[in-house]
Amino acid sequence: MTLEFAICLTEILTGFAFIQQSMEHIFAPKNEQILFIPRIILCVFLILGFETEWVSLALMALALLMLYRFQGPYNGGSDRMSLLLLSCLCLVHFLPEQSWRELVFGYLALQLVMSYFISGWVKIINPEWRNGLALNDVFRYSSYPVSEHLRGLWNWPKLLLVMSWAVILFELIFPLTLISQPTLILGLVIAATFHLANAFLFGLNRFFWIWLAAYPSIIWLQFRIFDAF
Amino acid sequence: MGITSVGKVIHSFKLLLPALIPSWRFFDVIAPSPRIEFTLLETEDEAPVNWTEFRPRPQRLSVIQMFKRILWNPHWNESLFLVSCAERLMAHPTEHSRAEIQNRISRDLKRNEDMDLIQPYLQFRLVFLDRQGTEIKKRVMYMSPIHQHIENIV
Repeated sequence: MTLEFAICLTEILTGFAFIQQSMEHIFAPKNEQILFIPRIILCVFLILGFETEWVSLALMALALLMLYRFQGPYNGGSDRMSLLLLSCLCLVHFLPEQSWRELVFGYLALQLVMSYFISGWVKIINPEWRNGLALNDVFRYSSYPVSEHLRGLWNWPKLLLVMSWAVILFELIFPLTLISQPTLILGLVIAATFHLANAFLFGLNRFFWIWLAAYPSIIWLQFRIFDAF
Repeated sequence: MGITSVGKVIHSFKLLLPALIPSWRFFDVIAPSPRIEFTLLETEDEAPVNWTEFRPRPQRLSVIQMFKRILWNPHWNESLFLVSCAERLMAHPTEHSRAEIQNRISRDLKRNEDMDLIQPYLQFRLVFLDRQGTEIKKRVMYMSPIHQHIENIV
């Protein structure tokens, strides 16, 4: 996969992910609509590949206005990944040297890997994650489960213990999937399924789309590293 | 560009930094979890008695509803934003976080209720749920000022 193709794919997926996010503000108060309607229009240009460097820059300016409007990210981690993606897309368009562009896109891929690995690391060093109690708390009283019925899962401690370890091990092992293209693709399919489950159980739908948008960077990086040998 | 505008730009860039160098510590600890409760009052001096949970989650969601939410989930995402506002209000209180919660309660009331039946004063509180041993404890951690909300619906 060439850098140009990976960037193009990232732009298209980011465009769709941003449209999905922005559409959710279409019936919001006017002071939100004024930020999100132009964003939808810009994303159409991004998907069509029209003047993508200037479109990325305009999207970045809008992103800063949104940060100011909400005094931080509107949707925590998914907004942080959105901003990271957008910042990297802006930089790859305006940096003069190919090697610098590769460095920036590689940074995006590295952050994607870290997003899984660090999440796994902070869980495995926490005894309450290791004994399943943390996931039990997530279902029992956190703000995330999408229905009261789902909260009932806290009564299934053995299942939650298995789920906890499955998540921890997958997140920690994820960097090893880079060793070959088939293992990476398998890793990404499992990761996407994990995000889909989070969207189902905790309503975190924006994470699913925006993490998917960052996948071309890791596929490119794997190809770039192993192609060199 | 005035000094205020420059300040806003600098502030926005400061907010951008955690996205450029993210920590990715998702669910590292399960912190006390906020619920927003509100009450409507006839007068500014009335003592609040009945508190209603703002946006309680539904009892059940069908698999089809869950699938639809992959593409369209504005209400839930707004609720998660309000959870962030509640956490921010405890960590470093700002007028912004208070106003976001207050305005969105007002807006929901305007949408869902007969305006003639809504009392003019609104107050909200933040109740935090936490596990102590095996028990879940509720603690009221914040009470908003009483606010005349009818004229102030966004």
